[in-house]
Amino acid sequence: MRKVMLGLVAGAVVLGGPVVSVQAAGDPIAVRKAVMQSVGAAAGLGGGMMKGEIAYTPAAGKAAIASMNAAALSYGDFFPEGSESGGDTTAAAAIWEDRAGFAQELAKFASATGGAMQASGKDGPADLDAFKAAFGPVLQTCKSCHEGFRVKR
Amino acid sequence: MKKLIVAFAILGAAGFGGAWVLSAPQVVSTEALAALTPGDAVNGERLFWAGGCASCHAAPEAKGEDKLVLAGGVRLESPFGTFVAPNISMSESAGIGAWSLPEFVNAMVKGTAPDGANYYPAFPYTSYTHMTLQDVADLFAFMTTLPAVETVPGNHELGFPFNIRRTVGLWKRLYLRPDFAISQPEAGDADPALWERGRYLVEGPGHCAECHTPRGPLGGLETGRWMAGAPNPAGEGRIPDITPSDAGIGGWSVSDIAYYLESGFTPDYDSVGGEMVAVQENMTRLPAQDREAIAVYLKALPPSN
Repeated sequence: MRKVMLGLVAGAVVLGGPVVSVQAAGDPIAVRKAVMQSVGAAAGLGGGMMKGEIAYTPAAGKAAIASMNAAALSYGDFFPEGSESGGDTTAAAAIWEDRAGFAQELAKFASATGGAMQASGKDGPADLDAFKAAFGPVLQTCKSCHEGFRVKR
Repeated sequence: MKKLIVAFAILGAAGFGGAWVLSAPQVVSTEALAALTPGDAVNGERLFWAGGCASCHAAPEAKGEDKLVLAGGVRLESPFGTFVAPNISMSESAGIGAWSLPEFVNAMVKGTAPDGANYYPAFPYTSYTHMTLQDVADLFAFMTTLPAVETVPGNHELGFPFNIRRTVGLWKRLYLRPDFAISQPEAGDADPALWERGRYLVEGPGHCAECHTPRGPLGGLETGRWMAGAPNPAGEGRIPDITPSDAGIGGWSVSDIAYYLESGFTPDYDSVGGEMVAVQENMTRLPAQDREAIAVYLKALPPSN
């Protein structure tokens, strides 16, 4: 009986897992939300270390920077025409009305994360000061974009 | 019939006369103005940032040092029409360079222009009225150090009857009140000195309630729902509830609020957005103790639910 239960659970995981991600993959709003959640988590890790609430390690520093960099390079692809509303999105209409302005903000984000990647090298920024110097400019780009392109609900 | 017409005429004249008297512009007493000492520009700069002057009076989307160039031109959409922020730089023709200190004080705390006209409350004098006159004098001293710029922004775009400034005098009778909205801290453990400083900054120069408190049909603040959040006058979304409730910032500590005002990051590392970005960038220029005072005051507000 226990084996049957385990089998069912495993089956549910195998079946359930892909179904969710397939749904998300076809839904730009869900994807961009997931990407931004990963940005938020990376900001929480990096910010927590900068504030001294989490002990700094170079590996954790690099993880935060690399998540940000992956998001910066992909995020802009999930705002196609037709995804302006629905799914509780907090994307502002300005994203579609001012494509060039939004692209400029994304470029700032990618430029900051690219610089941070370069500064972190193979093992991540060596100490907290090096991490702050690399990660600080990345965090600054959050509000610069959120000022014009994100709506609070 | 003739009697009736006469009665109506008398009533009408009395009503008009009463409204005319009630809508008369208000000014600060000459004794109070005479007691002011020469302004301290250092304290004035602190008030300049606390007051968010640049958010409306610098050119639209000005950043960094450009915020000190008070050319005006920011457009504020409202149910009453569109207000266009004027030039308040030191230009004698386009700005306020020719103003005396009493004229500046009356504008700030009474909403009255040098020629006696009423300002529209899009200029948040209903909040600035809580400022001490000496702080206003200090602010003026700082502003006289700022550059003159000759830009002339457009006029307000308002429909009838809102385009008649005299009507604002009646509105002021209802909503230009000298007393603070909150008389005491809700929570008993707030440090009294910090709380009082926080109330001064939030209800006075900071004019936080102008966006965070909902308005009634006449555009006056609903003090019974103080800081409980409101529709965004600029368009999309809502201005958040910032009372210590579940819907507001009940889960934030005093240091979370102070850190948000300093860095722009919420406790879960979302960033500040929308119009609040400019506000936060002003708050980050204040001494840390002022941000803490604001946080103490907000944490001691009556929760919205």
